[in-house]
Formats: sequence, C-alpha cells, structure tokens
Amino acid sequence: MKTLVLGLGNPILSDDGVGIKVAREVANQLNNPQVTVAETSAAGLSLLDSIVGYDKVIIIDAIQTEKGRAGQIYRMGTEDFSLTKHFSSPHQINLATALELGKMLNLAMPQEITIFAVEAKDITNFSEKCTPKVEQAIPEVVKMVLEDLVG
Amino acid sequence: MKKIMIDPITRLEGHGKITIFLNDDGSVANTYFQVPELRGFEKFSEGRPAEDMPQITQRICGVCPEAHHMAATKALDDLFHVEPTSTAKKLRELLYSAFFVTDHTTHFYILAAPDFVMGPDAHPAERNILGVIGKVGLELGGAVINTRKQNHWIIQTVGGRPIHPCFGLPGGVSRAINEEERAKIEEIAKASVEFGKVSLKVFDDVVLKNKVYLDMVLSDTYTQKSYNMGLVDKNNKVNFYDGKVRVVGPDGKEFCKYAPREYLEHIAERVEPWTYLKFPYLKKIGWKGFVDGKDSGVYRATPLSRLNAADGMATPLAQEEYEKMYSILGGKPANYTLATHWARLVELLYAAERLLDLSRDPEITSPNIRNIPTAKPDEGVGIVEAPRGTLTHHYITDEKGVIKKCNLIVGTTNNYAPLFMSIKKAAEDFIKPGVKITEGLLNRIEMAWRPYDPCLSCATHALPGQLPLEVTIYDAQGNELKKLSQGI
Repeated sequence: MKTLVLGLGNPILSDDGVGIKVAREVANQLNNPQVTVAETSAAGLSLLDSIVGYDKVIIIDAIQTEKGRAGQIYRMGTEDFSLTKHFSSPHQINLATALELGKMLNLAMPQEITIFAVEAKDITNFSEKCTPKVEQAIPEVVKMVLEDLVG
Repeated sequence: MKKIMIDPITRLEGHGKITIFLNDDGSVANTYFQVPELRGFEKFSEGRPAEDMPQITQRICGVCPEAHHMAATKALDDLFHVEPTSTAKKLRELLYSAFFVTDHTTHFYILAAPDFVMGPDAHPAERNILGVIGKVGLELGGAVINTRKQNHWIIQTVGGRPIHPCFGLPGGVSRAINEEERAKIEEIAKASVEFGKVSLKVFDDVVLKNKVYLDMVLSDTYTQKSYNMGLVDKNNKVNFYDGKVRVVGPDGKEFCKYAPREYLEHIAERVEPWTYLKFPYLKKIGWKGFVDGKDSGVYRATPLSRLNAADGMATPLAQEEYEKMYSILGGKPANYTLATHWARLVELLYAAERLLDLSRDPEITSPNIRNIPTAKPDEGVGIVEAPRGTLTHHYITDEKGVIKKCNLIVGTTNNYAPLFMSIKKAAEDFIKPGVKITEGLLNRIEMAWRPYDPCLSCATHALPGQLPLEVTIYDAQGNELKKLSQGI
C-alpha cells in the first residue's frame, strides 16, 4: 500500500506552519520505505496533484474554528468530509471538491484519507515559530500520525 | 439607524468580509470590505541576507510563489548592480511563461467559468469546477489538469524544485537546461498553445454568444473608468517578466511610464480608519476618494489593465485575440471589469506562445547562465507582473547585502481601492428597496470581486486558492438580514 504523509502550510506564517513541522518530525522518526513524507505550501489544484497515485493519505494542517482552543487537535476521516457544520476551515469543502474532481476525471484517488488538524492561534503574523500552545501540540500529533501509520 | 462599528481589530478568521448596511427603505447606505492582512514581513526580513529573499518571499503566497521569486531575483540584480546573461533572462522568462499558463488556467476554470458556464443563479453546489466539467465535458476537464501538470513539470525542471523554485540568483540563474529538457518543453508549449485557443473558444461559445452575459459584461454596474497599469517591453507590448511600468488613463492616453527604481515617485499609499489595508494610488494625480475617472489617482493592475496599458501583444495568435476583444468591447481602453476574465485568456494564449518561442531560442540551452556580481550592494527594486497585478520588491541593505528595510507591493494590493469600488457599485445597483435578496443577487456582487482574483496567503492551501468570503447584510436597525459564504 502506497502511503503519503503530507504536511500542509506556510512555514513562515507562525502557526500556519504546524503541518509542515509535524511532517518533518514524522520523517525524522519514520523508517518505512512504503511511506512518503512530503510537505507543500502550494494552493489549489496542486493538492490534488500531490495525492494522486497513493492508496492512503494522511494530511496534517492548521485549522481555525469558532470555538477551538489553540493547540487543540482534531482527527477527521473520509466519513467526516460531508459534514461542514462544525469547522469553519476552507479545507474541508475544498478537499471534498478535490476528491470529487479526481474521481470525475478518473484519476487514481486514495481510498483512505485522514486529516490531523491543529487549532491555530496566529496565522497572520510572519514568523518561523509557532505560538507556544501550538508548538506544544506537535509531539502529540506526531505520535498520532505514527500510530495511524502502523494501525 | 443603529450604528455598527467596523473595527479592523476584529479577528477576521482567515476570510474576507463584505458588510453591507441598508437604509430604512432597503437601499444601500454603506458597503465595507475587509480582508485579513498578513503582518510583520518587514520585521521578519530585517537582518536576513538579501540573497535569501527569492526563497523567503516565495513562501508568502501559496498561489504565486514563482512571481515573488522572480521579483526578488530582479531586485537582487538591481541591488548588486549586475546584468543577467542573455540566456539567464530567457530561462527566467521561459519559467515565468509556464507559470502564467498554469495560474491563468486555474483561475479561469475554477473561479471564472462557474459563473458563466453554470450561470450566476445556479445553485452554489453546482457553481464550481465540477459543474463546469459536467457541462463542457470530461475531455476538457482532463486538459485543464494536464496543462497544469505539464507546465508544473517545466517549472520544476527549469526552477530546480517543485512549486518553490531555487533558481534566481543576482546576475543569472542556478542551472541550465539540456537538449532533452528543451525538446520536452517545446512539446508542452505546443500543446499549451492549443489549449489556450480552446479556452478562448469556450469563452466565445459560452459568454460572447450569450446575449445575457454579454450585456452583463458591458453593463454600467460592472464598469469602472480607472487608470490602467502594466509592464510593457520597449515596443509597448505586454511583457510579464521585464520592461517598464506603463500607466494609461481611462481616456486611453499614456499618463506615465517608469523604470522600477522610480516607483516611489509615482505610487503613494492611502490610509483609511476602517481597515488595516493601505490603498495605493497615483501620486501625481492625488487621492480623491474611492472614485474613478481621469481626476482620481485610483488605478487598476489586472490582466485587463495590462492589455489596456499596452499597444498590443508580442505574439501573433494572442494579438489576433486582443484585436477581436477590443473590437467587440468597443475600442480601447475597455473599462468593463468582467472583461478581465477575457483578457486573462488572451494572456494565457500569449504566455503559451511566448513559452514556445523561448523553447526554440538558439541560446536557451547555453551554459552561460550567470554574471557574477562584483559591486557592493545597497538598494534594489525588482518589478514583474504577477498574474494578479504588478508586483514590486524593494530592498535596502548594508554593504554586506543584509536587509535593513524592505517594501513589497503585491499584485492584489494595487487593486484594493478599485476592488472595493467594484463591490460597492454592485451592491448599490443590485440591492434596492423591495427587491428580494437572494443568493443569486449576492453572487452578482461577488462577481464584481472575482475578476480581480484577490490573492492572499490565508488561501494558501485552500482549493482552489480562492479567498474564503462572507457577505453579510444588515438592516437599518443593525439586525443581520442575510449571510452568504463561499469556501468557508
């Protein structure tokens, strides 16, 4: 099974870089040739380009919700994608559209997609560091991703 | 009327907001728009080596990293007082042309086409790329994905890395291309030219042959008579990579033409109390408020502005389409905001033709890709056309090339004032006493915004790189009447 772990985000925009930081740490700790770890700051259809051809994809990203606490971790599976009420992130609808588009065009779409999202505090100030609570969540997310890969 | 404070400190949650206040009779009293602004870049870049700026600035934006990379590279040429080699300039423009093909393709099919192909009143669930492909066919849908994929291969091969090139150096580029790569680029370019022609045909079939749409394009609601800005080459033809910035008035006359270093003599920024955004305007005319016309310093920098500001396209097929466009729109300059989508397709074709020409240039595989700088760095300005408008990078360094100050005017920033004016006008024209406020109505307000294709990093990894947007209408008592959101 070809697996992709994909960190999304902007590494110079404070908490928006958390997905990339998690992916890098997963790459450090992982020793599995079946798993590709990648990162992307690309927008739009490039997300579709990244996931085509893999059987299983784990995406790690920052999220901002109405009532979330900074550093809070969410796990979403394919079954959650149709629900749009709980999260105000653009990613959910857009990822669902990406998947539909891929299917429509008969591209090799992954059967299993999991998203780990971390509630961000600051995504508008330039910095290479995450804010403290988000930084503290990183090891926990790394652990969850590694467990998901084994499980 | 209840007063509601628009406080720019209110957290914007990563999306844009259009807020409309109504009078007692249901007409529009005021319209505001706010977008999240990314802050602290100047501070972030202080103390960093200027040579890192092509790598750093391309991270600002997930949609057009190549544009920042190129503007930063040109700023470095200027900073280090070094002229790139002829091959380096051509390789840069080759990569940049491939980038424009991908970006304009994405914008047209994902953002513009849904309104026109599905219709502005179609249900939001259908008014997207899926609906478009359902209507225009899977083959064209496949061609959209393929054109992007192939041109991304060019950017990755020439630029050295996917998405974020590690390519631009003061005086040149980091790698040359070989004959095998060149031949593949040529094949991709030929296919891209065909794709450009097909896209213009889609626009012709779906928009121009539909009287309702054509009337919408030519309507007063979506008309704005502002100045037009774009880069032109020495023949005053559109060029995305290099040249001088030319500004042409709403009357079609050239107002000014400046070299990158002169930009501060021509552009100033206006501050308003209700937003953190600053609004650039033409200094020599002055700020007269959010109004258009010859006496107002408001200017636009969009694909349509670029075509308005130039005397033509440098490649034959695009030139033919340029002439056709202006003949249907009634001459130059064209002040119809929705025609920006059309201009974008003309540019797509030009970018593909230019890519083809450059791939066939006898110098393109030369190993002579760099002139090493020898002068001390001090100050440099680099300007390119980003897909969304003229992009300016300005660095001031110490004698070791460490950044002391930097100033960026990104593509979308040029358009803040006209963007606001377009939205305001649409709101005032569509929301009238007694008229029911429907989603289709609110969509027509958003259609005033979409041609500008605003690019902000909060849309970094949203599909399709679109700004999540919320439109809220309040009645005269300040009660929320209706809310519409997209991408949220």
